[in-house]
Amino acid sequence: MAYRPSKRAKRGMEEIRLNITPIMNLMVVLIPLLIGSVEYIKLGIIELNLPPEALGPESEALAELPQEDELKLDLTVTITDQGFFISSGMAVLSGKEAGKPTIPIEAYGYDFNTLSNKLYEIKQKAKDRFPDHNHIIIMAEPDIDYQTIVSTMDAARARIDSTTQVRQTLFPVVSLSAGIF
Amino acid sequence: MAFVPSHRKKHKTGGGHAHLQLTSMMDMFTIILVFLLKTYSTHGQLIKPSPDLTLPSSVIRNEPEVGLDITITTDWMLVNGKKVIPTRKIEDINGYIIPGLRQELKRHADIAKDMEIKHGAKFSGKVTIQGDKSLPYRTLIKVMATCGQSDYPNMRLVVYQERIS
Repeated sequence: MAYRPSKRAKRGMEEIRLNITPIMNLMVVLIPLLIGSVEYIKLGIIELNLPPEALGPESEALAELPQEDELKLDLTVTITDQGFFISSGMAVLSGKEAGKPTIPIEAYGYDFNTLSNKLYEIKQKAKDRFPDHNHIIIMAEPDIDYQTIVSTMDAARARIDSTTQVRQTLFPVVSLSAGIF
Repeated sequence: MAFVPSHRKKHKTGGGHAHLQLTSMMDMFTIILVFLLKTYSTHGQLIKPSPDLTLPSSVIRNEPEVGLDITITTDWMLVNGKKVIPTRKIEDINGYIIPGLRQELKRHADIAKDMEIKHGAKFSGKVTIQGDKSLPYRTLIKVMATCGQSDYPNMRLVVYQERIS
C-alpha cells in the first residue's frame, strides 16, 4: 500500500516562537532618543499689535475710521518705582493719600495680586458701560525693567479667583504707551 | 508503597540562573514608548540659551510663532542673528527711532514684499522680540516704535512659560 499518514498521530499546532530581539532593539534605541528630546523650557509669546495710527504718515489712509464721541474707559496702569497708579479717561484712582500710588510697592516687590483684584473690581463695573472694556494701556517710567512690564501684563490679562479657582478674563488687549520720557 | 516525594531532590536550588521575564519588560517598554510618542513635540527651537539673554517669565500659554527675529541681549541687539547696535547705545539715542534697526527692518521688509509680488507669500509684518528680562522700559519702547514705523506692526514678545503653581 502507498504511504498513508497515520491516523493516530495528531499533532497540535506548532508553537511559533516570536523572536523578541529585533523588537527589543527598537525599544532600546527609540526610548532613550525620545527621553532625550523632552522639553526643558517651554516658550510662549505675548501679542502686541500696534494700532494703525502709530504707523506713521504712510499709513494714515488706514486711520480713516471716524472718531466717534462715545465714552471710552481708557484704563491706564502706570508703573513707577513707587508702585502702580490706576487711572481712567476720567479720573485717577488714588491710594491711601492723594498723590500716592494706588497700589504702593511692597518690600518684596510689586504687589501684582492686589493689582489683579483692583482691576477685577473695575472690570465688573465697566463691563456693561464701555465699549473698550477689554483694553488696557500700560505706561511705565523709563527705568522699569522688562520683567515687571510682562508681569503687569499677566496681572492685567486674567485673574484666578482664590476661592473658586475660576479664571476670570480682565483686560487681554494691551497697548504700551511711551508716556513719561 | 504510595508515591513518596524524593527527599534528595527537595534541596536542589537550580544552579542560580535567573530567567529574564521578557513579556513584562515588553509590556513596560511598549507603554513607555506610546507615552513618549504622545508627548513628543516638534516645535523648532527659536532661541539660543545664553547667559546674556534671560527671557522674562509669564503665565501666558500661547505657542511661539515664526517671524523676523529681533534679539536684545545685555550686550548687542541682533536682527536675525546679525549684530546691529550695542544695547547700551540705544539709551543715548534721542527720539524713538533707532537708525540701524530701521535700516535692517526696511531691508527685510523690501525683500518680503518682493517675495509677495513674485510668489504670493503674504507679508505678515510679524516680528518676534526676544529681550533680556532686565531691559529698561525706554529701550523696549524705542525698539517697538522703530518696528511700528518700519512696516512691522505685529509684535510678538517671546517669554518663558511659568508653571502656575
